[in-house]
Amino acid sequence: MKRPKEIITLMLGVMVVLTLPGTALAAIQGVTGPSFTLTAKTGFITVDDGTIIPTWGFANGTGLMQYPGPTLIVNQGDLVSVALTNQLTVPVSILFPGQQGVVATGGVPGLLTNEAPPAGTVTYTFTAGEPGTFTYYSGSQPELQFEMGLVGVLIVRPTGQPKRAYADPATAFDREYLFFLSDMDPLIHKKVQQGFGATINQSSAWPICWFINGRAGLDTIAPAFDPIMPYQPYSAVALMHPGEKVLLRMVGGGRDAHPFHVHGNHHKVIARDGRQLKAGALDISEGAFTTTVAPGQTHDALFTWTGAGQGWDVYGHTASDPLAPGESADDHGLAFPTILPDIKDLLPGPLYPGSPFLGGSGSLPPGEGGFNPWGAFPFMWHSHNEKELTSADIFPGGMLTWVLIVPPGTLPAE
Amino acid sequence: MRRLFLMVPVCMLVLGLGTALEAGIRTQCKPGAVCQHLVGVDGYVSMADGYRQYVFGFTDKTGVPDNDVLLEAEMDAQSPAPPIRVQEGQEFYLTLSTAPMKMRPDLFDAHSVHWHGFPNIAPIFDGEPMASIGTNPGASFTYYYKVPAPGTYAYHCHVEATEHMQMGMLGHVTVTPLQDGTPITYAGKTYSQFAYNDGDGSTGYDVDYALTVIGFDPNFHDANGNPTPQPLPFADMRDTYMQINGRGYPDTINTEILNPPILPDGSTGKDSQKVNALIQATQGQRILLRIMNLSTVHFSTITIPGITMKVVAKDASLLRAGDGVTNLYYDTNTLTMGGGQSADVILDTTNVPPGTYFLHTTDHGELSNNQQDFGGLMTEIVIIP
Repeated sequence: MKRPKEIITLMLGVMVVLTLPGTALAAIQGVTGPSFTLTAKTGFITVDDGTIIPTWGFANGTGLMQYPGPTLIVNQGDLVSVALTNQLTVPVSILFPGQQGVVATGGVPGLLTNEAPPAGTVTYTFTAGEPGTFTYYSGSQPELQFEMGLVGVLIVRPTGQPKRAYADPATAFDREYLFFLSDMDPLIHKKVQQGFGATINQSSAWPICWFINGRAGLDTIAPAFDPIMPYQPYSAVALMHPGEKVLLRMVGGGRDAHPFHVHGNHHKVIARDGRQLKAGALDISEGAFTTTVAPGQTHDALFTWTGAGQGWDVYGHTASDPLAPGESADDHGLAFPTILPDIKDLLPGPLYPGSPFLGGSGSLPPGEGGFNPWGAFPFMWHSHNEKELTSADIFPGGMLTWVLIVPPGTLPAE
Repeated sequence: MRRLFLMVPVCMLVLGLGTALEAGIRTQCKPGAVCQHLVGVDGYVSMADGYRQYVFGFTDKTGVPDNDVLLEAEMDAQSPAPPIRVQEGQEFYLTLSTAPMKMRPDLFDAHSVHWHGFPNIAPIFDGEPMASIGTNPGASFTYYYKVPAPGTYAYHCHVEATEHMQMGMLGHVTVTPLQDGTPITYAGKTYSQFAYNDGDGSTGYDVDYALTVIGFDPNFHDANGNPTPQPLPFADMRDTYMQINGRGYPDTINTEILNPPILPDGSTGKDSQKVNALIQATQGQRILLRIMNLSTVHFSTITIPGITMKVVAKDASLLRAGDGVTNLYYDTNTLTMGGGQSADVILDTTNVPPGTYFLHTTDHGELSNNQQDFGGLMTEIVIIP
């Protein structure tokens, strides 16, 4: 079962992204603290195959429930307070794994922390002691509420260093993106919606939908705050120039572990669970092309791409052309190494601009391509458990998104 | 699975076989470069319990005249896909031709080669078809790689990836390092073959083996190979034939080409499983296992009772600290890998008594060939005196 129309959806998304520079290209969407008000409420998320899943989630203040919850962005040393109001019919709470000394004020005692009863409130305060990427999620019947969508991300920036993941200058980045990886079993959600929550058997959960930043498949590259997905405001498309350093904040937000594969180049995992990979002064970061992101786990990784070493000039330059910013001199002016077949012998992808060169374009059959007006180099970033590239039994979908390497000078600085 | 809504184009293709397809198959290479020609096609393989499984795969037709390629490739899908072994720094021209699928003439699927893990690639040679191109049936596309970095990689078709990978278009890539051939003494022994450019000889080995872990879901394959093709069960996908190098145990240790499958029409198919997974070494040798997991559903954990595994690299990245000299290798009894992950593991057999050892999954439910027990993700390591 395949959907040709899916391609059109994808392309519309890309077109919107590419024609709305500025706000839609913001790196990590979120709410800056240190004081937050969250509301637990119901909503509906849409999956790219048309499935609608009833969900519970956190809203920013009086806004709509969103999945994942608002990304809370604070600075190291901030006294963070999160006031939770509960509009669900069951108690809800929030855990902040990785934070020390969380104090819960108000609410009623629960098994793991104080809870906000239905129509009630509770407030959590803590000092964000260490920089890094963290999660937060409900500690009230988490086996159900995590699945239902009561989960989000907390980012703590190092003191005085907003463009570094950690205090260490080796963790500096030009742009940063969030990859919140999750899965859902829609049957559980339907049972909850229809009042049969007591019949749910967690041991037989069978996820059939997979998400990045709460969106499935090609929806991931639609712009942030796209009005067609009011409950899923966060985009997952990454944009960068050649040579820039991009920070990937990968978060396990579902019930399964996911092997997240990045096309284009290897990435370097520099931190796990908010702890930089160092042994004393020794840098023990790990190169990888596929990183396992387990539930509740976070990985920070640096990614860059220059195209150096291809053996041909990815810009299509002649030797007399000037070097592009960040271009490798070694390959400059080297001819393309093969003869491309006639386009009729090929199946051009919707993001193929008709040229192998960065910033290039070429003729394509009628109706093909044309959705990559910058001539960007797109690379898919996705779960390599390929089953997870589907949504409710439909391919393509699920846990995939893209990085677009755009020609130098296209993007504003972050 | 790109279905044609009209049969007319199919008829046109069949009628045009004599000219259009031949004209489309063409290899490209240049003197001094490594040249290889793979063809994407369908076929059959045999599971270790004897079950015939319909697959998509690659077959190696390097050196076959362009005009003969489609005929020779018919129903010749290999599992695993033919292993690729090249050296760092080489220029590598890899031609992919796409053959029509004999058992599924309703399909017009393109294919591609995605060299999984190739660093700093450009989309045109990355094989991810949304960002670039797939190769249509009856045509060829030549990928060019200036092989940049040693290690253990994979290649697979990325067109309609969930389907084509579950169907078996999965292969192993080894890139040997420039350091090979330079004798370096490490721990009292001198090696001239290495996993990486380690500078200290610590990844030196005597024998190496490429192992690719995959899994098949027979329901998915049967739906695809049904004479009346069925909707593909993506959501229910669950691998019950876990394999190493396209075989479940005990086929993994059969050093012969497996008997070709008997096709649905009663004829004998082609030899389609030529790679085994038996590991042999003389006591005292260092064995390098280049392990790649290309399963489309499961994580797998492997162990080797009686022999300690030393992990020296993951995802083609040497485990080395940022100072460039401190090795971060670690000894372990278990190694967990998800789809798309590789690891290089060294087995030092100096103190391993001669005998037969088993490399197997610790997910013991995967020690089966579907309903047949004592099989699945397992092979043997034979240490000779």
